[in-house]
Parts: sequence; C-alpha cells; structure tokens
Amino acid sequence: MTAPAVAVNREPSLARDLIALTKPRIISLLLLTTLAPMLVAGTPSWATIFWTGVGGYLMAGGANAVNMYLDQDIDTVMARTKLRPIPSGRMTARAVLAFGIAIATAATWLLGHYVNVLTSALALSGFYFYVFVYTRWLKRTTPQNIVLGGAAGAFPPLVGWAAVTGRVDLASLYLFLIVFYWTPPHFWALALLKQRDYGKAGVPMAPNIWGERETIDQMLWYTVLLIALSVLPVTFGVFGAFYLASALILGGILLRGVWRIRVLDARSESWIPVAWKVYKYSLLYLALLFVAMAIDRHV
Amino acid sequence: MPLPLHHTLPLPLSTLLWIGIGLVVVSQIRILLSTVRAMRGAQSERARRGIEWAYAVVPAIALMVALVFTWQAAREHAMRVDMESRASQTEPS
Repeated sequence: MTAPAVAVNREPSLARDLIALTKPRIISLLLLTTLAPMLVAGTPSWATIFWTGVGGYLMAGGANAVNMYLDQDIDTVMARTKLRPIPSGRMTARAVLAFGIAIATAATWLLGHYVNVLTSALALSGFYFYVFVYTRWLKRTTPQNIVLGGAAGAFPPLVGWAAVTGRVDLASLYLFLIVFYWTPPHFWALALLKQRDYGKAGVPMAPNIWGERETIDQMLWYTVLLIALSVLPVTFGVFGAFYLASALILGGILLRGVWRIRVLDARSESWIPVAWKVYKYSLLYLALLFVAMAIDRHV
Repeated sequence: MPLPLHHTLPLPLSTLLWIGIGLVVVSQIRILLSTVRAMRGAQSERARRGIEWAYAVVPAIALMVALVFTWQAAREHAMRVDMESRASQTEPS
C-alpha cells in the first residue's frame, strides 16, 4: 500500500528539521530588511550581496535554533510551537544547541572574512541580543518584552548598511528604528489572538498583563510613531517622493487596520478577523516599505 | 549664522519634518501615559513598576536624541540644497 504523495512529502527528516530550526519564513523578512538597505546604501557587488545574505541567514538561523533550545519548556505547552523538533522529540535539545552555535559561528567568520568586521560584529550583536537579552531576560519577565526585544530584529538593516558602507550613520539608524517600532503593532496583533496560549505558557505578553484595551491603545500609538519615523528620512535627503508616497500609503493602511481593532473593541464587538488581517498585513507592510526604499534610490 | 531651517529647506520638507517630529513626540507621550495606566491596572509591586517604567523611558530618551540628530541632518541637507541651487543660478548658461 502506498501513502498519498502529500503525506510522503511532509514526512519529517533531519534536513527538514534543521531547516525548520532556522525558522526560514521569519528569516525571509529579515533577509529582505538586510538586502534592501544594501541597495539604498550604494551599489554593492554580487559577492557582497551573496555573502551578506548567506551570513545573515546563518546568523539569524543560529539565533532561532538557540532560541528553540532555551524555550523548549514553553514550546511544549503552546499549540503554535509544540510540533517543533525538540518538543516533538525528533531532535535532542543538545543537538539543537550545537547546531545553532555552529551556524552562528560560521556566520561570524563568513561575514568577517568576505564582507567586513563591522558587519560581522553587528550580526553577532543581533544574535547575542536575541538570545540573551530577549529570550533569556525580557521574554519571561516583562509585558514590554517585544518592545525592547524588537531591537534584535532591527539589527539586519544595520548589517546590510555596514556591509556596503563600512559604517553606521543616521540613515541606517532610521532603518533600525523603523523595524524596532514596527515590532509592537505586529507582535501584539498576534499576542491578542494567542492570549490563551501565552497565558498557558506563562509568557507575560501585554494583552495578558495589561489587558486588551491598553494593548490596542499602545498598538495605535506605536503605529502613528512608526509612520512618522518612516517619513522623517525624506527630510534629510535619504529618500525621495516615491518612497514618501509609498510610506504614507502603506502606513495609512496599517493605521486603518489598527484603528478598526480599537473601534470594534470600544463597541465590545469581535476584532479577531481584523487582528489577523493586521498581523498578516504588517508583514507585507515591512516588506513593501523596504522594497520601496530600494526602488526609490534607483529610479 | 546659519539660516533658520524654514528659510532653506523647501517648505513641504520643512513642514514634513515638524509634523513628523510632532507626531513622534505626541505618540511617545501617549505610549508612556498608557504604560503608567497599564502598570496601575496590573497592580504590580513598586520595584517591578520602577523596572517597567525604565523599560518604557529608555527607548523614549534614545528616540528624542535621534530626533535632535534628525533636525541637525535636515538643516545640513537644507543648506546643501540651498548652496547647490544658488550655484546653479550663478552658473553661466
């Protein structure tokens, strides 16, 4: 008897688990926020783009694998994460840790050797921030975990910028700030939807500790702040009219979604479908905003 | 003495700068006020509140520093634009 083709394709394998440990879907957005700033910063060679992409993937993948090692206890409890390689028993925790450290070490060397030392140091700082500051310290201790932890995800634009220019300046700092302030409305939309899961795992997400209304209120103000920050680089000549129009349109759509959650909450109506839309759109928002940056510099 | 920003930066950009800075400051104040309300609502310990307050204030301070650098960068950009436009006006056709 033969199993259906779909079931065969989804059979777990070591290679599939190793890729899953790196969280490739999340990394695709991180890579975009690394590569787009490279095109904003200058005209990088194909080799620089390639090695920054490879190094960036391995560093972020290493951080994600170590995160899965450190969070193995809560991954078992949460529905969203219980099929990961450690909680499902397909890989040992020690093997996952070794894999994470190995690929992060390889990334440090690759970036330092083929790109430059600053790029390597920034990528490694992002790794340390994610593993030690976010996962080990903030995640389980404060409802502001993802606000400050957002800095970990904001390192990629600095990495991309430094790969081309060899320095960090105000323009690159703004790219960092955009990702940093994008994180609260993005993650809190998910946290609103997964409150029970986070509560069961004992992770103090804002909706569980502060309540829905205050979380939604902060999502709204963080979105306003994000839109304002996204347009400010235009005032000192980094971007032009195309980017400005894109930032305002994309930001306006995000703000409309968050505002809608707030209105529905105030009326005590269900905002669940809208929160899902905001969560998904926020991913698209960040991707398109960075694409608009790259296009703006080359049109 | 350098020219005031609105004399050099094209008016739409100058307006954009001040609207942007204004929105950042107002949003940040609303976030801090919301954090205070949320901490009261959560009935956390006094020491815990201090830590939470620090977590909220530190990024706010860093952001205000970034705004000062932004204002300086916008001024320098405006002067550069102004000098370039004057140079192009004085060039023989």
